[in-house]
Amino acid sequence: MKIYRINAVIVRHLYESRRNFDRVTDMLWWPVLDIIMWGFFTVYLSHSNRLQPTVVSCLLGAVILWGTFYGFQRDMAVGFIDELWYRNLINLFSTPLTLSEYMAGLITVCLLKVMVGLLAASAIAWAAYSFDIVPWLPKIIPYMANLLFFALALGIAITGLIFRYTTKIQALAWSFAGLLMPASCVMYPMSSLPKWLRAIAWMLPTAHSFEGMRQVLAGRGFSPMHFWWGAGLNVVYFALAIAFFGWISEQARSRGLLVRQE
Amino acid sequence: MLVEVDNLTKTFGEFRAVDNVSFAIERGEIIGMLGPNGAGKTTTIHMILGLITPTSGRISIFGKSIATHRGEILEQMNFTSPYVAFPFRLTVLENLMVFARIYNLKKPRARIDEQLERFGITKLRDKAIARLSSGENTRVGLCKAFMNDPQLLLLDEPTAYLDPEIAWQVKNALLDAQREKGTTILYTSHNMDEVERMCNRIIFLHHGKVIAAGSPIEITQAILEEEREEPALEEVFLRLVKGKAA
Repeated sequence: MKIYRINAVIVRHLYESRRNFDRVTDMLWWPVLDIIMWGFFTVYLSHSNRLQPTVVSCLLGAVILWGTFYGFQRDMAVGFIDELWYRNLINLFSTPLTLSEYMAGLITVCLLKVMVGLLAASAIAWAAYSFDIVPWLPKIIPYMANLLFFALALGIAITGLIFRYTTKIQALAWSFAGLLMPASCVMYPMSSLPKWLRAIAWMLPTAHSFEGMRQVLAGRGFSPMHFWWGAGLNVVYFALAIAFFGWISEQARSRGLLVRQE
Repeated sequence: MLVEVDNLTKTFGEFRAVDNVSFAIERGEIIGMLGPNGAGKTTTIHMILGLITPTSGRISIFGKSIATHRGEILEQMNFTSPYVAFPFRLTVLENLMVFARIYNLKKPRARIDEQLERFGITKLRDKAIARLSSGENTRVGLCKAFMNDPQLLLLDEPTAYLDPEIAWQVKNALLDAQREKGTTILYTSHNMDEVERMCNRIIFLHHGKVIAAGSPIEITQAILEEEREEPALEEVFLRLVKGKAA
């Protein structure tokens, strides 16, 4: 891998973010809109005397973290779809640029973009709803890292699928994370799920991250169990995603997928 | 030999896109690859670029196999086709900067300006690709193709969308590159006059097979089976394609 080629991919996507309003919308619009909407909901909830005070923090923390997870996975897949839409794949891959360099550049840009969204959402949560995530960060960051790691594995797998099946399955870029949302226990504890769905939730790093985050925000401290479960699952999913992507890239050259124009 | 292609075959399921094709290109040559649509020209070019893996056969460029030395080989070659595109929201300069970075050019801005001037599109530098005509887009592709000063250039119908005057300028730029820097060029086109003027040798492909190869005049005389003083590739093309189809 050559750093200058990874930089070229970063620059290419930063130019795109500057010129393409859709990408600015993805980066800022949804994280900001989500936090505003859920923020008002927590204001409404906080007027109810029956509510525990931690519920508000848990909801806002969940919105911020889910936005980070979803944004990272979506931006990776959409970044690659952009090349298909523009019919730019042949231009890129008729140079010495390798697929792994391309992916490394794309991942870096997605990380930068998701951090912008995270900062914007956190700033609004603090300014408008008095929810300051900063004091919680030392204990939440490990769960956040797990979320991003899982988003990365998903992003790689979905990009591989789009590589293979092209824009025919592009909707996955926006919708796949939504499929995981009910079992990821973003807004509610794992104990509220039916037993069969709880078994699925245990296999999702997202569920462990949100469960761990709720424990932290409820003042029950950091849960090593949820962190290590999430991390262990991530290692498995990441290895599977890399193996899948490697297999797809072999297929891509053999089936002529890199030169497809759709 | 700069390029050696041996028994190259590519099948997609039952379809045989390229069928046992062999040819070689010497340093500094301009080779024309001709054939009707679907003859296998573009698939052959994509295999030379390492974008498609051959089903069988071998491609060697600069004495190395593209299968094992892809990155090293592609540093020294380039490709363009009017049928591929650039991200249209980015300006010409931004698009070319991305490629200048991929090739790790030392003075990218100066190199880009040089190419823009070579193809007469300096004034388009800060325009978005979306606002360019097809011919202007083709010239941006050519700027990209010359960006790394390639030893080997693969050009897929490089003058397809150009008006005669611009096409003439482009052909001269290609001939200058060959004369001054010894650039080797593999060229596909449907314009027979252009191929006659530009190419030292021609490879005719039809249904994925090489059906004739040689200099324009050699091919003319051999296929038309009569003495000619000037090449007549259009007649040859029609004779070969109709003959093979019959």
